[in-house]
Order: sequence, then C-alpha cells, then structure tokens
Amino acid sequence: MTTVTAVRARPAAPVEPLYITGAGVITAAGDGLAALAEHLGGGGASPSAPVGDDAADYPGRPVRAVRDFDVKARLGRKGTKYLDRLTSFGLVACKELLEADPGDAAPDRTGVVLATNTGSVSTHSTLLYDTLTMEKPYLVNPGRFPNTVMNSTSGQIAIRNGLRGLNATVAGGQSASLLAFRHARLALTLGRADRLLVGGVEELSAPAAWAWHRTGVLREGAALGEGAAVFTVQRERPTGPVLAELLACEVRFTPDPRSYADGLADAVTRALGRSGVTAADIAAVSLGAGHHRGLGRVEERGLRRALGGALPAEVIRVADTLGETYSASGALQLAALLARRPAGGDLGLVTSVGRDGNAAAMVVRRPS
Amino acid sequence: MPEGRRVVITGLGAVSPVGIGADVFADAVRAGTGGTGPIESFDASAFPRANAGEVLDFDPADHLKRLDPARWGRSGLLAAAAARLAVADAGIDEEQLTAAGAGAVLGTTSGESAVVQALAEQWVADGLSAVDGELAGQTPASRIANAVSAELRLTGETQTIPTACSASNYALGYAYDLVRSGEADVMLAGGADAVNRLTHAGFYALGAMAEDVPRPFAADRSGIVTGEGGAVLVLETYEGATARGARIYAEVLGYAANCDAAHMVHPDATSIAACITAAHRAAGVDPEQIDYICAHGTGTPTNDTTEVAAARAVFGDRIPPISSIKSMLGHTMGAASGFGAIACCKALEQDFLPPTAHVEVPDPALGDGVDCVPGTGRPARLDIVQNHGFAFGGNNVITILGRVS
Repeated sequence: MTTVTAVRARPAAPVEPLYITGAGVITAAGDGLAALAEHLGGGGASPSAPVGDDAADYPGRPVRAVRDFDVKARLGRKGTKYLDRLTSFGLVACKELLEADPGDAAPDRTGVVLATNTGSVSTHSTLLYDTLTMEKPYLVNPGRFPNTVMNSTSGQIAIRNGLRGLNATVAGGQSASLLAFRHARLALTLGRADRLLVGGVEELSAPAAWAWHRTGVLREGAALGEGAAVFTVQRERPTGPVLAELLACEVRFTPDPRSYADGLADAVTRALGRSGVTAADIAAVSLGAGHHRGLGRVEERGLRRALGGALPAEVIRVADTLGETYSASGALQLAALLARRPAGGDLGLVTSVGRDGNAAAMVVRRPS
Repeated sequence: MPEGRRVVITGLGAVSPVGIGADVFADAVRAGTGGTGPIESFDASAFPRANAGEVLDFDPADHLKRLDPARWGRSGLLAAAAARLAVADAGIDEEQLTAAGAGAVLGTTSGESAVVQALAEQWVADGLSAVDGELAGQTPASRIANAVSAELRLTGETQTIPTACSASNYALGYAYDLVRSGEADVMLAGGADAVNRLTHAGFYALGAMAEDVPRPFAADRSGIVTGEGGAVLVLETYEGATARGARIYAEVLGYAANCDAAHMVHPDATSIAACITAAHRAAGVDPEQIDYICAHGTGTPTNDTTEVAAARAVFGDRIPPISSIKSMLGHTMGAASGFGAIACCKALEQDFLPPTAHVEVPDPALGDGVDCVPGTGRPARLDIVQNHGFAFGGNNVITILGRVS
C-alpha cells in the first residue's frame, strides 16, 4: 500500500472540462450510438460467425464481427485498394463523425489521437507470412508495407480529412483508449491542438483470434469483437450541441499484480477528485475487463474500494454485446455509456484495468 | 501555450549498435564509428542486401534486475536496459522515482517485431493453431513502456507511442508536457525497436535500402540500413534537478508535432518547415539561435533533399550544421530520435558537432551552405540544438534542447 499512498500524496489539480461534440461508431451492432443503444437494451448482439477470407481458419470461439462492411461503398473506390480492415473501420468512423460534426477548427489545429496495441494484425501477419514463404522475400508488396506501421490508421485519417495537427498513436494494452483520451486531454489543455479526433479501433482476423485463444487470458466462451469508436473533442465550449463533457482521465501503472485493484482504485479516486465530483454523484459505470479471467473481479473490487463499497446504480458491460475489443475497448465503453443515457444522473465513469499493470478511469458528464 | 515548469534532461541511457552506455555511444558517434554489418538476428541469406545496425553485445541479464528476459520481447528489453542505464546516469534511486510519480513514455515503429516474427515462423511451420500462447501474450507494443515501468517499479503514466520513426521525439514531447504541467515530477522517455525480417523486406521493396552503408547527404547516397536499439532519457523539473544537485545535460526548451496529411511515405518540405517554425515558437527561440540540427537524415535521396529544403525555407542561406547519426547507427526506427536527443545532449555537454559518417562528397544538388559535418565530429560550442524525427504517416516531431548555464 505504500506506493499507492505515495502516488496519492501528489498534488492533483482540478481539470477544466473538455467538450465531446460527436461520435463515429462502427460495431457489430451497426453504425452509430443509436444502433449500439438498441443492442445494449436488447440483451446483446446475437453470436455471429467470422467474416472475410480467413473466416474458416478461426478457432472455435464466438465472435462479434462487423458484417456487410464494404469500404468501397462507404469511401468510394479511390485510394481503397490497399486499405486493411483496421484502417477501413477508422476511416469510415471518422467520415461519419466529421460529416455530422464538421466543427470549425482550422485543419492545422485539428489532429488525431488513436489507440492501438498491434496495428493491423491481418496486414502484419500476412506480409510476414509472405516474407517467410516467398522465394524472393524482398518482393513483399510495397503498397501494403506502409500499412504495417502502427500509426498507419491515424496517418490515413489525417490524409483523407486534411488534418495537419498533431497525429498521435497510443498503446497501453487494455487501457489504450483511455490513455488516448488522457493524451488528448493534456494536448488540448496545453493548446497543442484546438480539436482532436480521439478513439480506438480493432479488427478481427484469424491470426489475432488464435493469439487470443492461445494466450488463455479470456474467459471460456467470451466473444472476440471488433469495431471503432472515435469522438471529436475540443477545449472551447461549442456553440452547437455537446454530447458530453470530458472531465478527468487518470491513469497509473502497478508493477505488482497483487495490487492491481489498488491501482485502479487510485486512478478512480484521482479522477473523481480532479473532476470535482464525489462517488455518490456517479450514476453509471462502463466496465471493461469482464471478459478477462480474474480481471473482471479485480476491476469491480478496485471500483468498490474507490466508491466506498457499492457500484453505481447502473453498470454497463459493453463487451457482453460487442465482444472483447482490446485497445478499442475504452472508446467503445464510452460509446456505450453515451448511448445508454443512464437515468440516475448525468455523471458516468469509464474504467479499465489490464493484465499488464495499466489502469485508467475517466469521468464524463452528459448535458442535463 | 501556457507557461509551465522548466524541464531538464539529467540522465541518458543508450543501448545502440555503436555501443552500450551514453559515454561509449558518444565516443563512437564523435569518432564517426560505423555500427552496421551483416545481419545476425535472422536468416537474411535470401535478401540481396543483408546489413543492419544490430546491438550484437546486448545481454539483457547484464542490465536488468527484475525482468525475466524469457518473458519479454527484444524491444521491451532494449528499452528497459536503456532505462536502467539512464536512471543510473541520472543518479536517481527507485524511492525518488516513486515519490516523483515517475512513469515511462516510449516510442516505437514496429513494437515487439521480433516476437511477432517468431510467431509467424510458428504459423508457417505448424499452422495458426500451433502458435505459442505465452509468446502471443508478448506481442502488444504497449509492453515496451510496461517493461520500463515493471523493471523500475514505476507507478506513473506508462504509455507507448507507436508513431513510427518520429516516435521517440513524440515520447519526449509528451513526457515534457507531463512534467512541465505538473502531472509528474520525473519521467523516462525515449524509444526502442528491434531489427526484424519484415522491416528489412519492406524497406527493400520500397526501393529505400542502401547498397552497403548509409551515406546521408552524400552525392552517392542510396538509402537506409535498418537498425535497432533502446534510447531512454530522464526528464525532470529544473527545480528538482538543482535541489538534488544533479548534472543537467540540457533543458527541453519546447517541441512541435504536426502531420503532412498528404502521403503515407513521402515527406513534405512545407509541412516540415511549418513544424520547425512551430518548434522554434514553442521554445521561444529564433532560427539564428540554432547551432546544430540533428537530422532525421535517413540517407534516402528523397528524405535528405526534402529535409534540407525545409531547413532552407526556415533558415534561408544560413542553415546550421546538419548531420545524421543514422550514418553510424543505421535507422533505428522508433528509437532514432531518442538516439538523436542523446547525441544532442552529449554534444552540448562535450562541445562537439556529431558527424555524418561515410560521406566523402556531399551532394551538390542539396545547394550551397549545407554542412553535414562529414566524416568525424568537430569541436564546437553549442547552446541551442534541434532534433528531427519524421515518420510514415506524415508525422513530424521536432524537439529543441538548450544548454543550461
């Protein structure tokens, strides 16, 4: 407990709210927050089979694939030849987002902060397979090679939308999306950009599914998922409608697995404190770790510790609907919280705890 | 931009193709010592070009006290070893790191690429269902920063920034913002990458690979040689550093990041020039105050031409000496601008200009007034330097470091 105490002793200045003005959401439930709300209310998406060329190669595990997704139909044929599924989700989510919420920030003051832990596993693994099996491995497809870097999706989003501001990609395991919000919060607060597209994207593929399956970290029967949730976030209060205020987003690392619940409790306590709210104000929490063996209990224990014993009135488990979405999970948890519109109050909490030691908590307030 | 606390660099850790430890690294760089050679980490016999800058004498057990090398990927181990060296160089102990809320921000291009390569080999040999679960668990890029925090028992923000080849500069910038704004009192920042088959194949396929050694800014330059390493710097407040009597290498005066938003792999001179100007503004300096540019300097014809054109747009005909340490290390990808920052710190401390090795005839097509410090380092008193990092995706990040007197 000494490390927790030491970190808590650090000053935690109150934060100014930032404004979330729009959401671009692509999931197995369909496009947008409304489709997600419908499925969250209806007890979850029905199990679905894998899609794509490698659908037959998946392990025997449920998946929640995004179905009938045609990137050429969504973006036009130009420039889509080499796009992988990951970047396609990101581009379409941002297209929907910016069409509905174009904003008025200058292009060189508008940027992207996107979560990922591996980039496109399908692209990466396919090209690696090629380099290991081709007689001339140096003839790997040069058109697809740039897609192997992990900032490929954020770079493509910038190119397609002319966004010349800071362009960051953030990895943080299960907490990657909340780390992206944290990163964006600091950048906006310090004036490094006026407006940022912030969120997370994941794609399904047979290699990724086997990696999940073989690590054994997910509960038996837990579905794998994919999709994107990207939000426009800005520092200035907009003249138009606000989807939510983004209050504090706090993260921390815990080296000792026995203290993971304490780590999350510390992040939650700091997030509440810096947001100027109390545990009793929180109407809902959107949880992230429920599909991971053991971690779901750690998350609830840490949360109870920070909130004084009880969970908030409403508990949302979006992975039950969309499957495990890893680096995108925090963004999809936020999408679920905003889609669900909890009845008990305006304040909601998004939490994340990973097997790697990262924990994060974010407070949001819906307009009354 | 709001005023914040002054942020200084007090510790350097280099695990590089030209040596391990900041002093060994600095001596090799100053002497123009090449660190590239025939690839040993994978079978490169099927490739027409088979050189890389590998850290051949790296044994994680020499440096790490807690991490079990069998359970971590090479990139994370390189980062954690560099972090150990940086913390020792800074003379800061683990209790001080904990009390300061220290965390780790590490950049990378390819993440745990050696792990992913091993998994792909298992796939090819025995099918997807045969991949090793323990190894699969080592694939996330996030484990690079995690390795640092796990090794040093850090509890602060632990974030990996995979923004490709400007990633270390991005990590430095973000860590600077965390310390400057009071979110942390001490941060470790830098980057790591490992030489791997896919990166080697990809750069060859793009036509960007040098025939033998990298010769940035030379008339006969032909491209990059891939490299690897771990580069970590200790950032803390000026107030904290002086209170504990720490040696200060440099102050982080400011940085800027932008995106070309034009092309995935071709750099854009106008956008880079805008980034340089924004970095100067953030640091509160004028172009004529810059004494040295540690270039991105990959050695491809396109990069060096574009980089010099961008510098000319900002500096006019008085471009500061501009050199590329990639001529010695190879292109260490996500670690590259971290090594650049370390070279800048040592150049400020030891009064020299880092050279561009292997250059006999600088490229006249780059125009007049381009001093790439060919061959070996030169004595010079430097006060303010700038460090470049550009990347696939059009990510440019430029950091400005200054002497603290």
